[in-house]
Amino acid sequence: MRPPPRRVLWLACVACAGMAVYGFTVGYWRDPVMGGYVAVKMPLLVALTLVCNGLLNGLLAALLGTGLGFRQSLVALLTAFALAGVILGSLAPATFLLAWNAPPPGSPGTQNAHDAYLVTHTLLIGFAGIAANIHLHRLLAAKSPTRAAATATLLAWLGGNGFLGAQFSWILRPFFGMPGLKVQFLRDHPLREGNFYQTVWRAIHKISGDFAVPVLLGVLVILAIPIVRAIQSNHRTTPKP
Amino acid sequence: MNPPDQNTPAMPPPQLETAPPLEARLHPTPPQPPPQPLQPEPPLPEKPDTKSLFEALLRRPHALMARLADGNHGATGRFVMLTVVSFLLFGVVLGCFAKHQQLWAAPVKITFGLLFSAVICFPSLYIFSTLAGARVSVSQLGTCFAGALALAGLLLLGFVPAVWIFAESTDSFGFMGSLAVGAWIIAVMFALRFLKSVISATGGTQPGPLIIWNTVFLLVTLQMTTSLRPILGHSDHLLTQEKRFFLQHWGITFGDSLAPQVDAKPPATTPEAVTPPPSGTTVPQRGGSSSSDNHRLQAAIPLG
Repeated sequence: MRPPPRRVLWLACVACAGMAVYGFTVGYWRDPVMGGYVAVKMPLLVALTLVCNGLLNGLLAALLGTGLGFRQSLVALLTAFALAGVILGSLAPATFLLAWNAPPPGSPGTQNAHDAYLVTHTLLIGFAGIAANIHLHRLLAAKSPTRAAATATLLAWLGGNGFLGAQFSWILRPFFGMPGLKVQFLRDHPLREGNFYQTVWRAIHKISGDFAVPVLLGVLVILAIPIVRAIQSNHRTTPKP
Repeated sequence: MNPPDQNTPAMPPPQLETAPPLEARLHPTPPQPPPQPLQPEPPLPEKPDTKSLFEALLRRPHALMARLADGNHGATGRFVMLTVVSFLLFGVVLGCFAKHQQLWAAPVKITFGLLFSAVICFPSLYIFSTLAGARVSVSQLGTCFAGALALAGLLLLGFVPAVWIFAESTDSFGFMGSLAVGAWIIAVMFALRFLKSVISATGGTQPGPLIIWNTVFLLVTLQMTTSLRPILGHSDHLLTQEKRFFLQHWGITFGDSLAPQVDAKPPATTPEAVTPPPSGTTVPQRGGSSSSDNHRLQAAIPLG
């Protein structure tokens, strides 16, 4: 059954509103104008990822046997993003208070405030992402004829959207706003400043020296463990015939 | 032989008539309809159009095979057209990495390389599928092979936005080559899965021959990326005469970059900090290089 356009629009509005409100609090610490920029960029990040990977997500859902069509795949992913948006939007008052009370840029404690701000928001966004993906897997498990199809599709979507979404987040910098850099919507050459993965690789190489590959594998394993555990948990809660 | 279970009563216990629980009385559930038997897949139309073929490739490979067995379906031409268009578009996006000549050379080389690989591997596909036990005609297998390549092409189209984003963002041959080859391997895996279902549906029971053929086909296509180089970079010559194995070539060129290597300096963080190059210095930009750089680039193209 094709989801009605009204529902798609409603989900998109919920996702955008939640992300925008939360995004404002992310950028607000650096500058209120920056908050406005991030309020636009966070929904834009989701929209760009979904639009650019729309064909691939639909193809993978069909090929991996979920029985979902292109529009249904889009709605499923939009639902997950809407949930993440609701979670983040509900946290926005608290993060706004955090930004309000943090030492402002230029004050003696700026660097510590920036670091703490970065870590807090990373953890919150990570939590919202995990919750959204658990919900998405539950939805896929309910719709798919087999559990394996649901799991394979979720992992394929996670891989594809995560891979492209990380690069879009790199292109759409700044989000938090380094205290020393000027407030701007995008960097001067957003497409020409390397890519996310090369930067991460260089950073790991710089920190770990010759042990970059084992460190990277360790990070990947640490990231994979909660995903696998969540998927196993979902299998227990959504029995299939 | 196991002894009979002594605990099992010979007769079922009498059913006591008990009142339903309070919850059930307060909220009686409507009677559930009996489960419907699974509907058999409707056959494809006599002359399937492109949309039907596309949908069948993704969701109903068995119905597609049944339709292709009849002949006079007109599907082969549509599959080949889908393949060519998909690979041309993917090639254009890869050509955006180096731009200029590669905007037309990369799609032509990729499409030609794939079609050439398909032609030289098709005889072995027929022999190996027969060895696997499949009872399939040459024309039916040819159509299914074209369908598999069209499926791979469609998946590559799905990767096009991501590949374009990275083609515009990175200068690293290693990264771009890995991305393109990764996308191709994912796409070809689904294509080969479709071929496997064709072989199985037509009576093939032995997995060995098909695994060997899959490996051969993958190796041929990967070698084609080196034989037809440059595909990612640019050079004075459309093709190179130097012979190399693709792993050797990738190993040589993995760490190279499209941008020239400049003195190690901390990156400028503000526009004011960027100083122009001294007069007389040629700094080739993305998509264009001085002729002196072309010789280095010619040898520095990982996908070829």
